[in-house]
Amino acid sequence: MVCVIMKKLAIIPAYNEAESIIYTVKDIQKNAPDFDYIIINDRSKDNTYNLCIEAGLNILNLPLNLGIGGAVQTGYWYALENGYDIAVQFDGDGQHDAKYLGIMADTLIQKKANMVIGSRFIEKEGYQSSGIRRIGIRFFTVLIYLLTGEKITDPTSGFRMCDRKIIEMFADGYPKDYPEPETTTKALRNKFKVDEIPVKMRAREGGKSSISLKKSIYYMIKVPLAIIIERMR
Amino acid sequence: MMTLKIQIIIGIILVSGLCYVVNLIRKNKVELKYALPWLGAGVAVLAIDCFPVLMNELADLVGIGSPVNMIFFVGFLFVLVIVFAMTVALSIASSSVKRLTQKIALIEKRVRDLEEVIAKNNEKNGYK
Repeated sequence: MVCVIMKKLAIIPAYNEAESIIYTVKDIQKNAPDFDYIIINDRSKDNTYNLCIEAGLNILNLPLNLGIGGAVQTGYWYALENGYDIAVQFDGDGQHDAKYLGIMADTLIQKKANMVIGSRFIEKEGYQSSGIRRIGIRFFTVLIYLLTGEKITDPTSGFRMCDRKIIEMFADGYPKDYPEPETTTKALRNKFKVDEIPVKMRAREGGKSSISLKKSIYYMIKVPLAIIIERMR
Repeated sequence: MMTLKIQIIIGIILVSGLCYVVNLIRKNKVELKYALPWLGAGVAVLAIDCFPVLMNELADLVGIGSPVNMIFFVGFLFVLVIVFAMTVALSIASSSVKRLTQKIALIEKRVRDLEEVIAKNNEKNGYK
Protein backbone atom coordinates (compact mmCIF):
# COMPACT_ATOMS: atom_id res chain seq x y z
CA MET A 1 0.00 0.00 0.00
CA VAL A 2 1.27 3.41 -0.90
CA CYS A 3 1.76 5.35 2.24
CA VAL A 4 0.73 8.95 1.74
CA ILE A 5 1.21 11.21 4.69
CA MET A 6 -2.17 12.68 5.42
CA LYS A 7 -2.67 15.89 7.30
CA LYS A 8 -5.15 15.26 10.08
CA LEU A 9 -6.88 17.81 12.26
CA ALA A 10 -8.96 17.58 15.41
CA ILE A 11 -11.54 20.35 15.58
CA ILE A 12 -12.30 21.17 19.21
CA PRO A 13 -15.24 23.53 19.70
CA ALA A 14 -15.09 25.08 23.17
CA TYR A 15 -17.70 27.06 25.04
CA ASN A 16 -16.84 27.54 28.72
CA GLU A 17 -14.54 24.54 28.82
CA ALA A 18 -11.75 25.98 30.99
CA GLU A 19 -11.91 22.97 33.31
CA SER A 20 -11.34 20.38 30.63
CA ILE A 21 -9.75 21.98 27.57
CA ILE A 22 -6.11 21.40 28.58
CA TYR A 23 -6.90 17.79 29.41
CA THR A 24 -8.60 17.35 26.03
CA VAL A 25 -5.57 18.68 24.13
CA LYS A 26 -3.19 16.51 26.19
CA ASP A 27 -5.38 13.49 25.43
CA ILE A 28 -4.99 14.12 21.68
CA GLN A 29 -1.26 14.84 21.88
CA LYS A 30 -0.67 11.64 23.85
CA ASN A 31 -3.09 9.19 22.23
CA ALA A 32 -3.27 10.53 18.66
CA PRO A 33 0.08 12.24 18.06
CA ASP A 34 -0.34 12.33 14.26
CA PHE A 35 -3.31 14.67 14.66
CA ASP A 36 -2.96 18.44 14.78
CA TYR A 37 -5.66 20.20 16.71
CA ILE A 38 -7.44 23.52 16.63
CA ILE A 39 -9.56 24.88 19.47
CA ILE A 40 -12.42 27.15 18.48
CA ASN A 41 -13.33 29.38 21.39
CA ASP A 42 -16.98 30.28 20.87
CA ARG A 43 -16.75 33.46 22.93
CA SER A 44 -16.64 31.62 26.23
CA LYS A 45 -17.63 33.57 29.30
CA ASP A 46 -15.01 31.86 31.45
CA ASN A 47 -11.24 32.09 30.95
CA THR A 48 -10.99 29.35 28.30
CA TYR A 49 -9.30 31.79 25.91
CA ASN A 50 -6.66 33.14 28.31
CA LEU A 51 -5.92 29.66 29.55
CA CYS A 52 -5.29 28.42 26.01
CA ILE A 53 -3.15 31.42 25.03
CA GLU A 54 -1.04 31.12 28.18
CA ALA A 55 -0.52 27.43 27.49
CA GLY A 56 0.44 28.28 23.88
CA LEU A 57 -2.35 26.16 22.37
CA ASN A 58 -3.65 26.53 18.81
CA ILE A 59 -6.83 28.50 19.12
CA LEU A 60 -9.28 30.37 16.92
CA ASN A 61 -11.10 33.04 18.86
CA LEU A 62 -14.61 33.87 17.66
CA PRO A 63 -15.47 37.48 18.56
CA LEU A 64 -19.19 36.59 18.74
CA ASN A 65 -20.92 33.53 20.11
CA LEU A 66 -22.01 31.57 17.04
CA GLY A 67 -23.26 28.39 18.68
CA ILE A 68 -21.87 24.90 18.15
CA GLY A 69 -22.58 24.80 14.41
CA GLY A 70 -20.86 28.09 13.65
CA ALA A 71 -17.88 27.11 15.80
CA VAL A 72 -17.42 23.70 14.19
CA GLN A 73 -17.80 25.21 10.72
CA THR A 74 -14.95 27.62 11.53
CA GLY A 75 -12.87 24.52 12.22
CA TYR A 76 -13.78 23.01 8.85
CA TRP A 77 -12.92 26.29 7.16
CA TYR A 78 -9.55 26.28 8.95
CA ALA A 79 -9.00 22.67 7.82
CA LEU A 80 -9.79 23.70 4.23
CA GLU A 81 -7.48 26.75 4.28
CA ASN A 82 -4.63 24.74 5.75
CA GLY A 83 -4.90 21.77 3.41
CA TYR A 84 -5.99 19.05 5.82
CA ASP A 85 -7.05 15.73 4.32
CA ILE A 86 -8.99 14.57 7.36
CA ALA A 87 -10.78 16.46 10.09
CA VAL A 88 -12.49 15.12 13.18
CA GLN A 89 -14.86 16.88 15.54
CA PHE A 90 -13.73 16.36 19.08
CA ASP A 91 -15.64 17.77 22.03
CA GLY A 92 -13.72 20.03 24.39
CA ASP A 93 -15.49 18.69 27.46
CA GLY A 94 -13.73 15.33 27.75
CA GLN A 95 -16.64 13.23 26.44
CA HIS A 96 -14.60 11.88 23.55
CA ASP A 97 -11.57 9.66 23.84
CA ALA A 98 -8.57 10.36 21.60
CA LYS A 99 -7.56 6.71 21.48
CA TYR A 100 -10.33 6.18 18.91
CA LEU A 101 -8.93 8.73 16.45
CA GLY A 102 -6.47 6.24 14.97
CA ILE A 103 -9.19 3.60 14.46
CA MET A 104 -11.51 6.16 12.94
CA ALA A 105 -8.85 7.32 10.49
CA ASP A 106 -8.05 3.68 9.55
CA THR A 107 -11.75 2.99 8.97
CA LEU A 108 -12.10 6.13 6.88
CA ILE A 109 -9.13 5.21 4.68
CA GLN A 110 -9.55 1.45 4.43
CA LYS A 111 -13.30 1.39 3.94
CA LYS A 112 -13.04 4.42 1.63
CA ALA A 113 -15.70 6.17 3.67
CA ASN A 114 -16.21 9.92 3.45
CA MET A 115 -17.40 10.19 7.03
CA VAL A 116 -16.94 7.99 10.07
CA ILE A 117 -19.16 8.47 13.12
CA GLY A 118 -18.16 7.31 16.58
CA SER A 119 -21.31 5.57 17.79
CA ARG A 120 -22.26 4.83 21.38
CA PHE A 121 -24.93 2.38 20.34
CA ILE A 122 -23.13 -0.33 18.37
CA GLU A 123 -21.64 -2.07 21.36
CA LYS A 124 -23.76 -0.14 23.84
CA GLU A 125 -20.86 0.52 26.17
CA GLY A 126 -19.78 3.57 28.10
CA TYR A 127 -21.98 6.59 28.69
CA GLN A 128 -25.30 5.92 26.99
CA SER A 129 -27.14 9.19 27.59
CA SER A 130 -30.47 9.28 29.45
CA GLY A 131 -33.43 7.05 28.52
CA ILE A 132 -35.54 9.80 27.03
CA ARG A 133 -32.64 11.02 24.89
CA ARG A 134 -31.98 7.51 23.63
CA ILE A 135 -35.58 7.38 22.44
CA GLY A 136 -35.02 10.69 20.63
CA ILE A 137 -31.83 9.38 19.04
CA ARG A 138 -33.59 6.18 17.96
CA PHE A 139 -36.29 8.36 16.37
CA PHE A 140 -33.63 10.11 14.26
CA THR A 141 -32.12 6.76 13.27
CA VAL A 142 -35.53 5.67 11.97
CA LEU A 143 -36.24 9.02 10.29
CA ILE A 144 -32.89 9.07 8.50
CA TYR A 145 -33.39 5.44 7.47
CA LEU A 146 -36.80 6.26 5.99
CA LEU A 147 -35.44 9.27 4.10
CA THR A 148 -32.08 7.92 2.90
CA GLY A 149 -32.24 4.15 3.30
CA GLU A 150 -29.09 4.14 5.44
CA LYS A 151 -28.91 3.04 9.04
CA ILE A 152 -26.99 5.38 11.33
CA THR A 153 -27.09 4.13 14.91
CA ASP A 154 -25.88 7.39 16.48
CA PRO A 155 -26.90 10.32 14.27
CA THR A 156 -26.55 12.82 17.13
CA SER A 157 -22.94 11.89 17.87
CA GLY A 158 -20.63 14.90 17.76
CA PHE A 159 -17.66 12.56 17.34
CA ARG A 160 -17.27 12.49 13.57
CA MET A 161 -14.39 12.26 11.15
CA CYS A 162 -14.59 13.62 7.62
CA ASP A 163 -12.51 13.44 4.48
CA ARG A 164 -11.55 16.35 2.26
CA LYS A 165 -14.78 16.31 0.26
CA ILE A 166 -16.97 16.57 3.35
CA ILE A 167 -14.65 19.21 4.81
CA GLU A 168 -15.30 21.28 1.70
CA MET A 169 -19.05 20.72 1.94
CA PHE A 170 -19.24 21.62 5.63
CA ALA A 171 -16.98 24.67 5.28
CA ASP A 172 -19.44 25.92 2.69
CA GLY A 173 -22.66 25.28 4.59
CA TYR A 174 -23.39 24.11 8.11
CA PRO A 175 -26.45 24.57 10.33
CA LYS A 176 -26.14 26.95 13.29
CA ASP A 177 -27.61 24.82 16.04
CA TYR A 178 -28.03 21.09 16.67
CA PRO A 179 -26.28 20.27 13.39
CA GLU A 180 -25.40 16.57 13.70
CA PRO A 181 -28.48 14.67 12.41
CA GLU A 182 -29.05 17.26 9.69
CA THR A 183 -25.49 17.18 8.39
CA THR A 184 -25.39 13.39 8.51
CA THR A 185 -28.47 13.43 6.27
CA LYS A 186 -26.76 15.99 4.04
CA ALA A 187 -23.74 13.72 3.62
CA LEU A 188 -25.94 10.71 2.81
CA ARG A 189 -28.10 12.69 0.40
CA ASN A 190 -24.98 13.74 -1.50
CA LYS A 191 -24.15 10.03 -1.89
CA PHE A 192 -21.21 10.16 0.45
CA LYS A 193 -20.32 6.98 2.27
CA VAL A 194 -20.95 7.24 6.00
CA ASP A 195 -19.61 4.53 8.28
CA GLU A 196 -19.74 4.03 12.02
CA ILE A 197 -17.36 2.55 14.55
CA PRO A 198 -18.23 1.62 18.14
CA VAL A 199 -16.88 4.02 20.74
CA LYS A 200 -17.27 4.47 24.46
CA MET A 201 -18.04 7.98 25.52
CA ARG A 202 -17.45 9.36 28.96
CA ALA A 203 -19.89 11.38 30.99
CA ARG A 204 -18.92 15.03 30.70
CA GLU A 205 -15.81 16.23 32.54
CA GLY A 206 -16.85 19.85 32.86
CA GLY A 207 -19.17 22.35 31.25
CA LYS A 208 -22.82 21.69 30.48
CA SER A 209 -24.51 19.78 27.69
CA SER A 210 -25.58 22.12 24.94
CA ILE A 211 -29.03 20.53 25.09
CA SER A 212 -30.87 21.48 28.26
CA LEU A 213 -34.31 20.09 29.03
CA LYS A 214 -35.83 23.44 28.14
CA LYS A 215 -34.39 23.33 24.65
CA SER A 216 -35.39 19.75 23.87
CA ILE A 217 -38.80 20.78 22.61
CA TYR A 218 -37.19 23.19 20.14
CA TYR A 219 -34.76 20.42 19.25
CA MET A 220 -37.47 17.86 18.56
CA ILE A 221 -39.34 20.27 16.32
CA LYS A 222 -36.45 21.91 14.50
CA VAL A 223 -34.20 18.94 13.80
CA PRO A 224 -36.77 16.58 12.22
CA LEU A 225 -38.00 19.47 10.06
CA ALA A 226 -34.42 20.31 9.10
CA ILE A 227 -33.80 16.68 8.12
CA ILE A 228 -36.95 16.53 6.01
CA ILE A 229 -36.13 19.84 4.30
CA GLU A 230 -32.55 18.68 3.73
CA ARG A 231 -33.99 15.62 1.97
CA MET A 232 -36.10 17.95 -0.25
CA ARG A 233 -33.09 19.99 -1.44
CA MET B 1 -69.97 53.05 4.95
CA MET B 2 -67.00 54.78 6.57
CA THR B 3 -67.75 57.74 8.72
CA LEU B 4 -65.78 60.92 8.29
CA LYS B 5 -64.60 60.46 11.88
CA ILE B 6 -62.80 57.14 11.25
CA GLN B 7 -61.44 58.49 7.96
CA ILE B 8 -59.83 61.39 9.82
CA ILE B 9 -58.48 59.21 12.65
CA ILE B 10 -56.92 56.71 10.23
CA GLY B 11 -55.60 59.59 8.10
CA ILE B 12 -53.87 61.27 11.06
CA ILE B 13 -52.26 58.00 12.19
CA LEU B 14 -51.04 57.23 8.67
CA VAL B 15 -49.67 60.70 7.96
CA SER B 16 -47.82 60.91 11.28
CA GLY B 17 -46.48 57.38 10.71
CA LEU B 18 -45.27 58.34 7.23
CA CYS B 19 -43.64 61.52 8.59
CA TYR B 20 -41.87 59.48 11.25
CA VAL B 21 -40.49 57.01 8.69
CA VAL B 22 -39.39 59.78 6.31
CA ASN B 23 -37.69 61.57 9.19
CA LEU B 24 -35.74 58.44 10.12
CA ILE B 25 -34.63 58.01 6.51
CA ARG B 26 -33.61 61.70 6.44
CA LYS B 27 -31.42 61.13 9.51
CA ASN B 28 -29.91 57.98 7.95
CA LYS B 29 -31.28 55.83 10.74
CA VAL B 30 -33.31 53.67 8.38
CA GLU B 31 -32.20 52.57 4.93
CA LEU B 32 -34.55 53.74 2.20
CA LYS B 33 -34.29 50.27 0.69
CA TYR B 34 -35.93 48.66 3.71
CA ALA B 35 -38.32 51.54 4.41
CA LEU B 36 -39.73 51.54 0.88
CA PRO B 37 -42.35 48.80 1.48
CA TRP B 38 -43.53 50.69 4.57
CA LEU B 39 -43.87 53.92 2.60
CA GLY B 40 -45.72 52.04 -0.14
CA ALA B 41 -48.08 50.42 2.34
CA GLY B 42 -48.71 53.76 4.08
CA VAL B 43 -49.47 55.61 0.86
CA ALA B 44 -51.72 52.83 -0.45
CA VAL B 45 -53.76 52.65 2.73
CA LEU B 46 -53.91 56.46 2.87
CA ALA B 47 -55.30 56.50 -0.68
CA ILE B 48 -58.04 54.05 0.28
CA ASP B 49 -58.77 56.11 3.38
CA CYS B 50 -59.15 59.36 1.44
CA PHE B 51 -61.11 57.84 -1.41
CA PRO B 52 -63.06 54.83 -0.09
CA VAL B 53 -64.89 54.62 -3.44
CA LEU B 54 -61.66 53.17 -4.83
CA MET B 55 -62.26 50.09 -2.77
CA ASN B 56 -66.02 49.81 -3.03
CA GLU B 57 -65.93 47.52 -6.01
CA LEU B 58 -63.06 45.41 -4.74
CA ALA B 59 -64.72 45.09 -1.33
CA ASP B 60 -67.89 43.96 -3.07
CA LEU B 61 -65.94 41.55 -5.22
CA VAL B 62 -64.29 39.72 -2.32
CA GLY B 63 -67.46 39.94 -0.24
CA ILE B 64 -66.42 42.52 2.33
CA GLY B 65 -69.41 44.65 3.27
CA SER B 66 -67.65 47.79 4.36
CA PRO B 67 -64.66 49.67 2.86
CA VAL B 68 -63.22 50.29 6.34
CA ASN B 69 -62.73 46.54 6.72
CA MET B 70 -61.09 46.54 3.31
CA ILE B 71 -58.56 49.06 4.68
CA PHE B 72 -57.74 46.77 7.59
CA PHE B 73 -57.51 43.76 5.30
CA VAL B 74 -55.21 45.45 2.76
CA GLY B 75 -53.11 46.97 5.54
CA PHE B 76 -52.77 43.60 7.25
CA LEU B 77 -51.64 41.92 4.02
CA PHE B 78 -49.00 44.62 3.50
CA VAL B 79 -47.74 44.13 7.05
CA LEU B 80 -47.50 40.37 6.61
CA VAL B 81 -45.45 40.78 3.43
CA ILE B 82 -43.18 43.35 5.06
CA VAL B 83 -42.61 41.28 8.20
CA PHE B 84 -41.76 38.22 6.15
CA ALA B 85 -39.38 40.26 4.00
CA MET B 86 -37.72 41.31 7.28
CA THR B 87 -37.35 37.66 8.27
CA VAL B 88 -35.61 36.98 4.97
CA ALA B 89 -33.37 40.05 5.40
CA LEU B 90 -32.53 38.96 8.96
CA SER B 91 -31.57 35.47 7.79
CA ILE B 92 -29.24 36.89 5.16
CA ALA B 93 -27.74 39.37 7.64
CA SER B 94 -27.25 36.67 10.26
CA SER B 95 -25.41 34.36 7.91
CA SER B 96 -23.23 37.27 6.76
CA VAL B 97 -22.40 38.07 10.38
CA LYS B 98 -21.53 34.41 10.94
CA ARG B 99 -19.19 34.36 7.95
CA LEU B 100 -17.51 37.60 9.04
CA THR B 101 -17.08 36.35 12.60
CA GLN B 102 -15.48 33.15 11.35
CA LYS B 103 -13.19 35.02 8.97
CA ILE B 104 -12.09 37.39 11.73
CA ALA B 105 -11.18 34.42 13.93
CA LEU B 106 -9.17 32.82 11.10
CA ILE B 107 -7.37 36.07 10.29
CA GLU B 108 -6.69 36.81 13.96
CA LYS B 109 -4.95 33.46 14.29
CA ARG B 110 -2.79 34.20 11.24
CA VAL B 111 -1.84 37.57 12.73
CA ARG B 112 -0.85 35.90 16.00
CA ASP B 113 1.19 33.28 14.14
CA LEU B 114 2.89 35.94 12.02
CA GLU B 115 3.72 38.03 15.07
CA GLU B 116 5.36 35.00 16.59
CA VAL B 117 7.43 34.34 13.47
CA ILE B 118 8.49 37.98 13.27
CA ALA B 119 9.43 38.04 16.95
CA LYS B 120 11.54 34.91 16.46
CA ASN B 121 13.24 36.31 13.36
CA ASN B 122 13.99 39.55 15.15
CA GLU B 123 15.51 37.65 18.03
CA LYS B 124 17.63 35.59 15.66
CA ASN B 125 18.87 38.67 13.85
CA GLY B 126 19.59 40.46 17.10
CA TYR B 127 16.90 43.13 16.81
CA LYS B 128 15.00 44.15 19.85
